[in-house]
Amino acid sequence: MNNAIIAGYARSPFTPALKGALAGIRPDELVAQVVRALVRDSGVAADDIEDLILGCAFPEAEQGMNMARLVVHLAELPIAIAGTTVNRFCGSSMQAIHMAAGAIQMNAGHAFICAGVESMSRVPMGGFNLLPHPGLYQRYPQAYIGMGETAENLARKYQIPRTEQEAFALRSQQKAVAAQQRGLLFEEIIPIGHVARDGCPRPDTSLAAMADLQPAFLANGSVTAATSSPLTDGAAAVLVCSETYADAHGLPKLARIKAIAVSACLPEIMGIGPVAATHKALQRAGLQLSDIDIVELNEAFAAQVLAVLQELPIAEQRLNLDGGAIALGHPLGATGARITGKAASLLKRENRQFALATQCIGGGQGIATILEAV
Amino acid sequence: MNIERVAVIGAGVMGAGIAAQIANAGIAVDLLDIVPKDSDNRNSVAENAVARLLKAEPPALMHPKNAGLLTPGNIDDHLDRLQHADWVIEAVLEDPAIKRGLYRKLEAVCGPRTLISSNTSTLPLSVLAEGFPDSFKRRFMITHFFNPPRYMRLLELVVSPELDQSLLDGVRRFADVKLGKGCVLCNDSPGFIANRIGTFWIQTALLKAIELGLPVEQCDAAMAWFGIPKTGIFGLLDLVGLDLLPHILHSFKRTLPSHDALSPLCQVPPLLQGMIEQGLTGRKGAGGFYRLQAGEGGKVKQAIDLTTGVYRLGESYQLPAGAHHAHELRAFLDGGEVLNAYSWRVLSDTLVYSAGLIPEIAADIDAVDTAMRLGYNWRQGPFELLQQLGIDWFVDKLGRENRSIPALLASRHELYRVRDGLLQFKDCQNGYRPVVRPEGVLLLSDVKRQRPALAANASASLWDIGDGVVCLEFHSKMNTLDLDILNLIQQSITIVQRGYKGLAIYNEADNFSAGANLTLLVAAIEQQDWQAVTSIIRLGQQTYQALKYAPFPVVGAPTGLALGGGCEILLHCDAIVAHAELYVGLVEVGVGLVPGWGGCKELLRRWLGFPKRPGGPMPAIAQVFEIIGLAKVSKSAQQARELLFLAKTDSITMNKDRLLADAKCRAMALAQDYHPPEPAYYALPGESAWAALDMAVGNLHAAGKASAYDVEISRQLAAVLSGADSDMSRPLSEQDLLDLELQAFLYLVQQPATLARLEHMLKTGKPLRN
Repeated sequence: MNNAIIAGYARSPFTPALKGALAGIRPDELVAQVVRALVRDSGVAADDIEDLILGCAFPEAEQGMNMARLVVHLAELPIAIAGTTVNRFCGSSMQAIHMAAGAIQMNAGHAFICAGVESMSRVPMGGFNLLPHPGLYQRYPQAYIGMGETAENLARKYQIPRTEQEAFALRSQQKAVAAQQRGLLFEEIIPIGHVARDGCPRPDTSLAAMADLQPAFLANGSVTAATSSPLTDGAAAVLVCSETYADAHGLPKLARIKAIAVSACLPEIMGIGPVAATHKALQRAGLQLSDIDIVELNEAFAAQVLAVLQELPIAEQRLNLDGGAIALGHPLGATGARITGKAASLLKRENRQFALATQCIGGGQGIATILEAV
Repeated sequence: MNIERVAVIGAGVMGAGIAAQIANAGIAVDLLDIVPKDSDNRNSVAENAVARLLKAEPPALMHPKNAGLLTPGNIDDHLDRLQHADWVIEAVLEDPAIKRGLYRKLEAVCGPRTLISSNTSTLPLSVLAEGFPDSFKRRFMITHFFNPPRYMRLLELVVSPELDQSLLDGVRRFADVKLGKGCVLCNDSPGFIANRIGTFWIQTALLKAIELGLPVEQCDAAMAWFGIPKTGIFGLLDLVGLDLLPHILHSFKRTLPSHDALSPLCQVPPLLQGMIEQGLTGRKGAGGFYRLQAGEGGKVKQAIDLTTGVYRLGESYQLPAGAHHAHELRAFLDGGEVLNAYSWRVLSDTLVYSAGLIPEIAADIDAVDTAMRLGYNWRQGPFELLQQLGIDWFVDKLGRENRSIPALLASRHELYRVRDGLLQFKDCQNGYRPVVRPEGVLLLSDVKRQRPALAANASASLWDIGDGVVCLEFHSKMNTLDLDILNLIQQSITIVQRGYKGLAIYNEADNFSAGANLTLLVAAIEQQDWQAVTSIIRLGQQTYQALKYAPFPVVGAPTGLALGGGCEILLHCDAIVAHAELYVGLVEVGVGLVPGWGGCKELLRRWLGFPKRPGGPMPAIAQVFEIIGLAKVSKSAQQARELLFLAKTDSITMNKDRLLADAKCRAMALAQDYHPPEPAYYALPGESAWAALDMAVGNLHAAGKASAYDVEISRQLAAVLSGADSDMSRPLSEQDLLDLELQAFLYLVQQPATLARLEHMLKTGKPLRN
């Protein structure tokens, strides 16, 4: 059987939507620059790439058409590379990786660029033309539930007080700022013009400052802007190859894709999605949670992560080593590629055996990828 | 002289404010100040001033993007920028040595045709220009703006005989047309016109009130009743800042001869001094003569007791409602209460003092009246007020009190008169001269002296303003729209069709229209007369539609507030010529309603046709939903353009006095080969869009940003804007949209929460959030 491996990872800086340094750049251009750099730096022969699979949560306007194929041209890649744009909301670019891994195992290609992008500055969450099905909206309004409210539901269900959420958010900020200061993010970031640094982390934040904020979604709720991932602009890309191709061409092997899974749950507690997806993936990998050394669990909301951790006890020292989305930002379509690429590179950096990358997904889903050191 | 490049030196409150107003006119301005001693950034003083402008309240800039027209700099590095300036305005410290030192530098760097002016409020031109060569004097003058420069319309001009007339003509025209100012030529006397009389009036009113121990509310109510000005005196001092007064008094004390009646009044009362020392400098400080304190059930207004200097609960003091007829004013001044005597003393002293200042401060009374109206917001200037009170009555009353009669009044001749339909004022030689309007200014008040109305009722009139154009004037209370107005609009359509080319909708009140008259509606709701409500809505819809599709052009010319129904009538015009100070919005949700006279239909049409919006049906619907749902009101005409209350083809007039002439011009231009607009059709997504809007409001409600009844109203608004059960494949007509507006309106008026909102608005003038 063909093993799928991750042979490269790169991303743009992540910057706050609207007021950040990347608000002025088109998303297709942004991801094209990341893809071009990944192809250049990874050593893959561009002519060998089968497909560019691009995740995006709101693929319209500047993210519209079949953006993936357009990115092939923008990145000045060979005309023979195909392109497909995929949408699984926040799980879109992890889904891109899954599709590549499946294709490799089917012997349907040896090298794939799996990328993701979201300009939350230029295409608003929900898109420009949100038009829910009126019948479904009446019968089952949860299908369209807002993300903030789902975090409040988890905070209530799992009894997670605001102070715990804030303490978690502060740790995420501290880890991200420390990683920035130690230069640990330098290698993965492709400068976009003069922008070479993440813009979301808040080195000056404090529990006292967080405590002053009003609830963001429910008048009497506990979730605030500080305990939510910020609206973000950013792109990320991963090179997925068959292991035989990597060996034949001397490509670096960051990690092997050992198991993948998607799952679904009630939309109103979508943040719990990683639990079922992780269980499925662990079972397929023949592993226990305790076998996992490195975890990248996407931080949509602090309450959501803390709820997942009650179901999936993961030790602090294994979780989101360089900070998570609360600090770094969450450009929806790009996050899956970022955390999977990050988990793969952390396996290498930390010299560990198994890694898990997992996310919750709006509408009530989870997605998980288990990686193994090669 | 054509003014295209302007520089302001001195980025204090006045300098920055003047620069902002020039930027509001779309003109680039260099704003320079000194290099600070303790900063690495040599431009920080001017840059900080621009940052303050962006936060100023009320806003100094008509749109934040106007700040981009301001280029900060410093006078050490950037004076070379002034080489090509057409006008350099100096607004530095009121110190002759500093100002004159700067002029020497300016003389060296500015081009030979650059006008240099000072914004001094206290220093004479003769002192500032003394010893400078004629080449400087021929391009130097005083241009004195009033604070805040965006909102105060007066510009006092002080000139020397040496000044180049073409420079004066150029700056007058620029200030008038581009900056919206009313220019008044003043003599080179202390404080010029407005501050001289204004300070006398403030000090008289302040000292007398303290002497008599009167409640500040009563004093303000009395002054407001006479319209000098609406805030009264203590309200005005709170607004401008109490700490300003000692500086002004000190300056007058220094410059006025001791025999001048203002001179002995130039004393800072201990009460005022104490308040300033405690930081009670007015609205910008910890409070002033009034302050708002948190109390049970919200904020409580308190007022200073002038005798004890201690705050007490504010009292609401209202004078009997009156139409301000002369006999009412006279009766009040003759009254036997302390407040009557106080008012007479303040008014008579001020009017006598003003009369004695002609011709010292200005050549004629018209200049003084204009200055007090535009510079101190008096409803009438002192001589207009005297004329209204009656010269005989005033002089007789002075005589009975054995007070001396000013020479100007001794002949007892009227101060203003109308001859052959033209307004004339009395000059110093006991003759009369016509009041001359600048070229391009057309006032309805002048038209009214010349001919009778073409048609009129209690709320509106129709006037022939020449060249085939007719003006529809509202004059109901707050210019609210009622059945009389709707009837006159219908009549006007017939009248214009019979013999005219076009119609301008304009009036000279502070506000174009506060919206529909709610009293009528509330009466119908209280009687549950839904048929009457339907009739009111249908009549408004039909009237506005008739106006839109009339076979002649209709031009709206609004200033100030244009709310609700007042906004809706503008949206049905072929064109709008807006005063720059236009505060327009569809605010119906504030009273628990949705726009019912075509406001939803017209604003949606504009947004659907707006080429710069993202594609698809929702962006336009969502924008209109937000604008109406949040009752957004523009903070300027420039912002109204952004909200699409003004179309790209609509124009903005900076000077209110030029509005009617500009509207008339537009109507005449449109009348050539005029065709009514094509009916609009609306392809709307129906229930899908409703669901999207409902989700958005649901989230706001959950976050505590919308009340349960806000959600209810929003759902009705969403039904109109989404086309209810329509579908993209079945475009709706304008009438369909009007029917949806009516349907939503009728639903809402039957809800008790809407009635509560309406009654609260009628009672308090403020919206209720229930």
